[in-house]
Amino acid sequence: MFKNYLLTAYKVYMRRKLFTLINLLCITLTLVVLLVVTALLQNAFHPSGVEGKSDRFLQVIMFQAIMKDGNGSRTSPVGYKVIDKYLKPMKTAKLVSAVTQPDTVSVYQDDRVTELMMRRADAEYWQILDFKVLAGRVPTPDDVARGRFVAVLNESSAKKLFPDLAAVGQSLNVGGQPFEIIGVVEDVMHLNAYAEIWAPVTTYPSSEYKNQLFGEFTALILADSAADLPQIKAEVEQIATRIEFDDPNVWSHGYIWADSKLDFFARELIGSRNDADSGAGTLVVVLWVMALLFMLLPVLNLVNLNTGRIMERSAEIGVRKAFGASSSQLVGQLVIENMLLCLVGGVLGLLCTKAVLLWLEGSGLIPYLKVEINLAVFGYGLMITLVFGLLSGVIPAWKMSRLDPVYALKGVA
Amino acid sequence: MIRLENISKTYQTDKVETLALKDIHLHVQKGEFVSIMGPSGCGKSTLLNLIGLLDRPGTGAIKVAGTEVKSYRDKDVARLRNHTFGFIFQSFHLINDLRVIDNVELPLLYRSVSSSERRRMAKAALEKVGLGARMEHYPNQLSGGQQQRVAIARAMVGKPQVLLADEPTGNLDSQMGGEVMDHLLTLNKEGTTVVMVTHDERAAKRGSRIVRVFDGQLVA
Repeated sequence: MFKNYLLTAYKVYMRRKLFTLINLLCITLTLVVLLVVTALLQNAFHPSGVEGKSDRFLQVIMFQAIMKDGNGSRTSPVGYKVIDKYLKPMKTAKLVSAVTQPDTVSVYQDDRVTELMMRRADAEYWQILDFKVLAGRVPTPDDVARGRFVAVLNESSAKKLFPDLAAVGQSLNVGGQPFEIIGVVEDVMHLNAYAEIWAPVTTYPSSEYKNQLFGEFTALILADSAADLPQIKAEVEQIATRIEFDDPNVWSHGYIWADSKLDFFARELIGSRNDADSGAGTLVVVLWVMALLFMLLPVLNLVNLNTGRIMERSAEIGVRKAFGASSSQLVGQLVIENMLLCLVGGVLGLLCTKAVLLWLEGSGLIPYLKVEINLAVFGYGLMITLVFGLLSGVIPAWKMSRLDPVYALKGVA
Repeated sequence: MIRLENISKTYQTDKVETLALKDIHLHVQKGEFVSIMGPSGCGKSTLLNLIGLLDRPGTGAIKVAGTEVKSYRDKDVARLRNHTFGFIFQSFHLINDLRVIDNVELPLLYRSVSSSERRRMAKAALEKVGLGARMEHYPNQLSGGQQQRVAIARAMVGKPQVLLADEPTGNLDSQMGGEVMDHLLTLNKEGTTVVMVTHDERAAKRGSRIVRVFDGQLVA
């Protein structure tokens, strides 16, 4: 029976090739967009690769200070002093790291100038993030403490700067400072890891950064376990009330938040800088609503096409009923047909998504992007498509199957 | 075998109500070949559809082998159609997307019959109507007479007790029509009850009994 159903389904779909193609395109495109977006979101927010511990670390990125007269404020990345004086001594944290946000620097080699994105970091940074070291080593606490001019390159930059040589052991002039390359790490594209060259924070041309509340730093706060994150958040919120301003006549108080990556983006997009609630919950709801709305169009299209297709087959349904098919058997047959189409669309969607992601990785639109298809999301996407496909098929199929055969044979639906 | 008691059937459209059948009492005995005759629109096809449980009566009762069908659930009616009846339609109603052999197998799909047994039975039915060589063809590759023979093979493949034929020769020339009638008579001789709607007096007379319908009522 199943073979007969498959055969009929194949014939039915081949009978109206254009409709079948539109149907398949709908399913495929929906899945591709859904999978590409979720792959990018997963890459950004899910603990993986170099930021594999991101489920148990938080970041303090922005500092907002409120003026005493209440009429103004200043918002900027946190300065090193906030991290060093207030965050590093935290009781609830396992490790606290200070790292600058990536900034463009000029690298001089003979008569060539190359621009790279650089971070300066303390030693804890290399413990919190899981860089894959391809050659040499990463800076040690001793390198940082002594302010050694050592640097780590990412793989692409190492190949670019030293195409014919091993990068480790080579010297580089970075913004007028001489650095020795001590290591090469894998290319990464993550919020806190992305850069092309890293050096100890103590190699800053001036030590003035140590006295700044506002600066260009990010604090990474690692917890022993994810369960400790709420305590860390509470402690950081409490620390914000204790920050002493250099000019207390101008500034009254400030806000810093220990945010997860999702919290950080939500706060930047829709949240408030002076509220503990980052707005992540709202952002997730908005994303879900958008995803559902996005899927509504192909669903309506599927409903329409399926209804038309089934109505067109009323005579066949009448014949099947006349020869003993029960309503549930007919619904089953039409459901199998829909599932077949959805599965073909799903496989096409998976292949096209892989192609789009490969293109995205190779295009350089997002540097060092490495994304994988989330098979769970593929499963959910396919399941949703199947559910909608089935519902859209089952409803008209059920209606047709309830019809007395004589009406179905006459094509009266 | 089949008993219709006080059957009436009305078709309702938006504004018009049409009485198709009124106060029908009919008893079809096992092994009979009953021909239903009457002018166009008199209700003979409606009567055949009611006998075959393809339609529901407005009032009255249909009994198959002594049991009233009214109380049957969809599944039970489907089973009854599958095991008791075989249908032959004027316009054949073959599924053009399926090969001849797959069309003939159709009634067996809804029984627990293995695929090899299905294939064997369908092949035997097609050979019986002289179409053993056309199994792999599609219906639209056959002539009208051949298509009706495929329809007969489909109707008889499950060895139903009753064959219901709605103007089986209506779309065929006299020679083809004669061949189709021969097949029906053979099946009847083998014990299958046949109820046939026809306009053709000559064909009707080849059966064992003629029932005439006029304006929705049986006439003597």
